[in-house]
Amino acid sequence: MKKIARIIAAVAVLLCSCKKKAKDEAKIQEVNVYTHRHYPPDQELFAQFEQHTGIKVNVVNASADELIQKMQLEGPTSPADVLITVDAGRLVRAKEKELLQSIESPFLDSIIAPHLKDEEKQWFALTKRARVIAYAKDRIDPEQLSTYEDLASDTWKAKLLIRSSSNIYNQSLMASLIANLGEEKSKEWAQKIVENMARDPKGNDRDQVKAVVAGEGDLAIVNTYYIGRMINSEDAVEANAGKGVGIYFPNQNDRGTHMNISGAGVAKYAPNRENAIRFIEFLASGEAQLVFAEANYEYPVNQNVDPAPLLQSWGSFKEDQLNLSELGTNNKAAVLLFDDVGWQ
Amino acid sequence: MFKVKIYLNTLLRDTNRWSWGTLFLIGFVTLPLFALFIGTLSGPGESWDHLLDTVLVDYALNSFLLVLGTSFFTLLLGVSSAWVVSRYHFPFKKIVEWLLIVPLTLPSYITAYAYAGLFDYGGPFSTLAKALGFGTPKVDILNLPGLIFILSVSLYPYVYVASRAVFLYQSSRLIEASNILGANRFKTLFYVVLPMARPAIFGGLLLVIMEVLNDYGAAKYYGVNTLTTGVFRAWFALEESDTAIFLSIILLLMVLVFVLLERWQRGNRSFQMATKSAIRLPSIHPSKTTKWMLFIVAFVPVLLGFLLPTFQLLQWLGITWEKTASTSYGSIALQSIGIALLSAILTVLIVLMVIYFPKWNRLKVLKKSTRLATLGYAIPGAVLAIGVMLPTLQIDRWLLQFNQNSGEIGAGTLLLLNGTIIALVYAYIIRFLAVGFKPLQGSQLKLGESLSESSRLLGKNTLKTFFKIDVPLLKTGIFSAILLVFVDIMKELPLTLILKPYNINTLAVKAYEYASDELIMESALPSLTIVATGLLPILFLNKLLLNNS
Repeated sequence: MKKIARIIAAVAVLLCSCKKKAKDEAKIQEVNVYTHRHYPPDQELFAQFEQHTGIKVNVVNASADELIQKMQLEGPTSPADVLITVDAGRLVRAKEKELLQSIESPFLDSIIAPHLKDEEKQWFALTKRARVIAYAKDRIDPEQLSTYEDLASDTWKAKLLIRSSSNIYNQSLMASLIANLGEEKSKEWAQKIVENMARDPKGNDRDQVKAVVAGEGDLAIVNTYYIGRMINSEDAVEANAGKGVGIYFPNQNDRGTHMNISGAGVAKYAPNRENAIRFIEFLASGEAQLVFAEANYEYPVNQNVDPAPLLQSWGSFKEDQLNLSELGTNNKAAVLLFDDVGWQ
Repeated sequence: MFKVKIYLNTLLRDTNRWSWGTLFLIGFVTLPLFALFIGTLSGPGESWDHLLDTVLVDYALNSFLLVLGTSFFTLLLGVSSAWVVSRYHFPFKKIVEWLLIVPLTLPSYITAYAYAGLFDYGGPFSTLAKALGFGTPKVDILNLPGLIFILSVSLYPYVYVASRAVFLYQSSRLIEASNILGANRFKTLFYVVLPMARPAIFGGLLLVIMEVLNDYGAAKYYGVNTLTTGVFRAWFALEESDTAIFLSIILLLMVLVFVLLERWQRGNRSFQMATKSAIRLPSIHPSKTTKWMLFIVAFVPVLLGFLLPTFQLLQWLGITWEKTASTSYGSIALQSIGIALLSAILTVLIVLMVIYFPKWNRLKVLKKSTRLATLGYAIPGAVLAIGVMLPTLQIDRWLLQFNQNSGEIGAGTLLLLNGTIIALVYAYIIRFLAVGFKPLQGSQLKLGESLSESSRLLGKNTLKTFFKIDVPLLKTGIFSAILLVFVDIMKELPLTLILKPYNINTLAVKAYEYASDELIMESALPSLTIVATGLLPILFLNKLLLNNS
């Protein structure tokens, strides 16, 4: 009994000291970041920011959906300063739920193109990713390819590889089609795509590329930066798979290739608002954008920074300049549509 | 009217402090469930009809098939290996005996990743097939049968541990009797041993079923839509928490069906054997070829559940360790272990309260409340996390208001519960109460009442009796419960993702982060560290299980 009393006392002392410590730390400059990005290069960037500014970066990693849920539940007591997601749809959702606030930043205004930021300046893109067609170099002539819409034609019966509909990149692609073609046509398209699938959707983007190289199908719909990472992988199998596919940017003669972004916004109840703005500005700066581009093969949003040489070798292309807010507003419709056509 | 009065009088007379304690515990354990339940009052979200029309049947069917298939194979692997190990001599028996438990250290989602790698294009399997001249066959494992395989090889130890304990000790007298009466070995096995062991085996199986219904990571990666993945989809992709809660209630009902099935099959029979008469029968020495066949029976689950996936992880580690190993990694490992250990100890403390408070209280209504303890295990981790967030946040808000009223402003947005380790540990406790509960309740039942009754007759009060009699006798049970819970917390993912505080990271989260960024090879280091931290406790547990009884 005595022992237990002692333990309880010890724990109580410990808790109290923690609380005191936490109070002291509140005076230290910090910024609380809720992020869906957890790539190793990001951590380097956070460390750089700490070094430059002396502002401590506190990180909560989880999926954007969970973070939004968390912020919503926390309401005005939320400690979040910055929300970072890996797609525009979730930023739009956060805005709709009134979890973000508008910020004034001449730097961000000047450096980021209009379609890559929120009209009310509640969020800003940090990097761009293109969702492209990866084709088997040995079997497919890129001349045969043209648009996303064309992937629904009978030519590609049992030739197509794409991951499951629970993936956000697919949801956003679908949302962009709904915005561009309307719901009815998009549904027809999705129906055809399901019929053209070489196998039931499974695995991640890299798995689709490997399956193309192995001959399970001829085409895969994937994000560009995965190919970049594969080609530079230390694993020979991965690297070979990455080199075995060609990159095709669809819809070059009309609206352009579907783009998604990774982006950030300042939380509505941010306790460290100024630090949050500095943090986002830093991530959009040339120095940070170079890291995004070189280490993670994403397209920079900072117009003064060039993409990685590998990405440049794929050539420049026309981007779909659809207002990214549409990805958010059509997201739910996209998910329901996937269910309707049986896209697993 | 009169009856009501009598009832109230008994109620008042029999209420003691343990009744209040029990009530508090009930509140403590069911608070998140209650919060979720309130969420269902407004009915399901608008997409419910859509789900009903399109995918719900698939979700339920997949979950059902998954439970059915995994149950079959875990029984097959777990019971056969336990029987062989407990009755026969065969080569490498000592090692195999404990290796059979070791898959418990590998989270099933990591086993799933590893197998996806093993059977990947250009992976070890296809390389081997090529070398042996079989060409390049593609073994597609990313589907429902594949998932059943993964869950079976990673969860069978629950059944193995449960059945081995009965085979070793409980059945020995009966086996002897059966042999003397002229029954051959097979008759003895099927007519005496297995029926006797059924409750224990089913208890292990129940844990397997709950784990299957909780799995999210493996099902998601293998492209199998289950009720659990449906919960995530409804909650996050459709943004309908009410629909998600309705789906989780279907899940809960499924679990409830299995729990009731277990109670029904056990009936009123008591399968307790007096511990004193339980002796360990001498193992049988079969012929040489049989010995090796028996070895294979016991070795296959180890190979599939542990050696093959670990081989793949090690291979990945070889490629990526330079990139992933760093000093910050060491601190993540330490944090992980510290949190898991603290939570495990607290969980077992609560388990003891859950077992003893209702026993000490005299109200009949509360006596059976121990059953509530196991509920948390049946809720998918992510759903439970939300259930914990709702009330803790409310309490935080009250505290903040209170603070501001008393003029103590300045704490800013510093929250006492939410986003701190307290909420996380609270969630762990509720989730893993069942894990600690099972073994402890077992040892407590075995203890019987006679000793503590004598102690109380001799004038010692309830608490003194508890500390002087029960705790020393339950020491092993308490210790193994802590270890079991510890290993489970080290592996826990969905709940941790949502509730973990700033700048705190666990190995499971780290492994998941890598995997979800499609850096599966990089996840090898945290995954293998989880295995390593689990190995020691498991080894120890095995020793305890064997020496004890």
